[in-house]
Amino acid sequence: MSILYDEGQQAIATESRRVLEARVNKDELLPLLETTGRYHDGFWTTAKEQGWTALALPEAYGGLDLGLIELGLIAHQAGRSLSGAPFLTSSFGAAKAIELYGSEEQKAKYLPGLASGETIGAVAFASGASALPAAPAVTLADNRLDGTATGVSGGLAADIAVVFANSSGTPALVIAELAGARRNTIDSFDNSRLFADLVFQATPAETLVAGDAARDAALHVLALQAVITAHEQAGGAEVMMEIARDYAVTRKAFGQPIGAFQSIKHRIAELYGHVELARANCIHAASREGQADFVTAAAAARLSATEAYDTASRDCVQIHGGMGVTWELGLHLHTRRARSLAIEQGNLFFWEDVLVDRLTGEAA
Amino acid sequence: MSNLEAYRAKAAAWLESMVPTFGKEARKGLSVEEDLAVGRKYQRAKFDAGYAGINWPTEFGGQGLGHLEKVTFDTEEMKHGFPSFYFGISLGMPIPVLMQFGSDKEFVKERVLKALKGEEIWCQLFSEPAGGSDLAGLRTRAEADGNGWKINGQKIWTSWAQYCDYGVIVVRTDPNVVKHKGLTYFWVDMKAPGVTVRPIKLVGGDSHVNEVFFDDVKITDDHRMSPVGGGFAVAIATLMIERYVATDSAGFGPHLDLFVDLAKEVELNGKPAIEDGRIRQQIARNFAMRSGLQSITARAMAMMQAGMTPGPEGSLNKLVAVRSRQKLSELAIDLQGSGGFGYDDHASQKEDWTSSWINAPTGRIAGGSDETLLNTIAEKILGLPQDHRPDKGVPFNQIPA
Repeated sequence: MSILYDEGQQAIATESRRVLEARVNKDELLPLLETTGRYHDGFWTTAKEQGWTALALPEAYGGLDLGLIELGLIAHQAGRSLSGAPFLTSSFGAAKAIELYGSEEQKAKYLPGLASGETIGAVAFASGASALPAAPAVTLADNRLDGTATGVSGGLAADIAVVFANSSGTPALVIAELAGARRNTIDSFDNSRLFADLVFQATPAETLVAGDAARDAALHVLALQAVITAHEQAGGAEVMMEIARDYAVTRKAFGQPIGAFQSIKHRIAELYGHVELARANCIHAASREGQADFVTAAAAARLSATEAYDTASRDCVQIHGGMGVTWELGLHLHTRRARSLAIEQGNLFFWEDVLVDRLTGEAA
Repeated sequence: MSNLEAYRAKAAAWLESMVPTFGKEARKGLSVEEDLAVGRKYQRAKFDAGYAGINWPTEFGGQGLGHLEKVTFDTEEMKHGFPSFYFGISLGMPIPVLMQFGSDKEFVKERVLKALKGEEIWCQLFSEPAGGSDLAGLRTRAEADGNGWKINGQKIWTSWAQYCDYGVIVVRTDPNVVKHKGLTYFWVDMKAPGVTVRPIKLVGGDSHVNEVFFDDVKITDDHRMSPVGGGFAVAIATLMIERYVATDSAGFGPHLDLFVDLAKEVELNGKPAIEDGRIRQQIARNFAMRSGLQSITARAMAMMQAGMTPGPEGSLNKLVAVRSRQKLSELAIDLQGSGGFGYDDHASQKEDWTSSWINAPTGRIAGGSDETLLNTIAEKILGLPQDHRPDKGVPFNQIPA
């Protein structure tokens, strides 16, 4: 896969940016923070209309047969506009898990709905600090799930979840329909992500992969999601850098634009470094899908994109001074999103360990 | 295999065959003078094999190939530690400038060929004690003298000047106009009467940079390579010549693999350091940073191959890589604790953490300091305002010294 975007891919970037800039603004996003259980449905409607939900899925199941590069481009734009409802990654992750590891029946049953966006998927692997726990808190017995999956992104709205479970001491990757599960709302610093704890009580589930292969499968799904999330983070970081730059050239103090002070201009130049490293790692990771070093590349993208977004949102606020911390200006939407994306699909500790394990050929 | 990949394979095979004669092992224990002699032979071998002046016009003895072939060869060459650095400045800037701006074509051709064969070396006399990042602030002057010029003043940080035959120099020819309008660009004979070269010993122990003093050095007007007062433009052209050079995401320090090896060997709290979270975090963060730089470089190469111009993000390489090399080298020494005191000033910066660490500041200063690079990124790429410059519009001789 080329690391240069072709014309079609560039058109995806331009068009998705145009659409999102026209349909999403901060005044719609701010109220979402004040209640739980709401997301930007305008974004999801747009995603469905534009075929973004179908983009990276197989044609045979209603998809468009494109890949990580194309979906990554859209995620980048969604990150810029803060519009990414969690399903862009969670439905995608659930669909990929089913596509890669499911039976024909499972694919036929779930993929068309996920491709059209009518079905919303979630990925429930984590248990507290552990993105892929050695002993998952959710157990599988007799095709039924019991236990709680914590902090599931999109969990409040999802129809189905792909769950990493413990099946008599061995891991298993399963699908559960969430009609049979309870959802405990998490009142979050980024409420539009619809975080929930999913509580399973004898919830029927179907197995996708069982045994040791389930852990590798789960890591692969996380890596696919991580690449999309990293694009979203890189987009967010990029727009924070641009907003900081625009403010620094217009706002004056001591008789000159504040961007003329090296403390400010160097801070913004450093952001450029963070953004470009994250972008480069994202493009590289997306191009490595299917290769032996894919997980390594995904981990690197995740680390640099998390650092870029956190740093850019933090510094952008700092450059704005007091105005930067007002509710109204909305920079905090990015501060919040930077942190929520940082801990979805595995935190920094997780990806650092994955990366070092891969580099050294052994786990700590 | 693409043409470029075929070129790479051929170059790699040739370079491999040169290792026994010119590689690190063959050069161990040589004095600088002996090593330079080996370097000249290596440069000659490159010329004979068609790997000198790869992207230069054939009329001057080059190979007439593209920039991609040049960067490809350099990238392969970098892996072996050959003595090519003596010619890096010479062939990097002064000679290309001579080809572009030298008026006497026969003279130029002779110089270019000798430089390509390693017989002559050129230096670049830009920096001064009072003019480093502020290139146009230089004070070395040339006054009209009969039908030529007389140069007086001092240059500094001149790489390899003690071994050079010629140099290119920017001097002040008119102190009565604003600073960058009063400069003129010449070439000089480094063996001319009045030129004194004094090596500067650096922290790492070597002395490849020099102070160069000019004391009534007389040159004829045919040494002039710019209009009188038009030297600044040529100086900038010099700095712009190699827009894309072979890069190293390790900042020309040790590869991350060496750090991983060290972390496996050293014990921390009774366990291999590689199991320590603090060490693991640094490895992971460094890997992510370096892989980002490599991806930027790979993308730039792919763009050039497609006939496009690479983006400005290539400018991040030196800034990001050398800083991280410095910190990782500190950490590597730290990790060895009381076993980390040793120092060998002949050790390679690419393989030895202590050598890498003590020499790292040079990498953060030479060729544009971190601060200069950040200014360039901010102003040229992001459109932020220029720094406040009180010397703007003021004749040079009225700027407070």
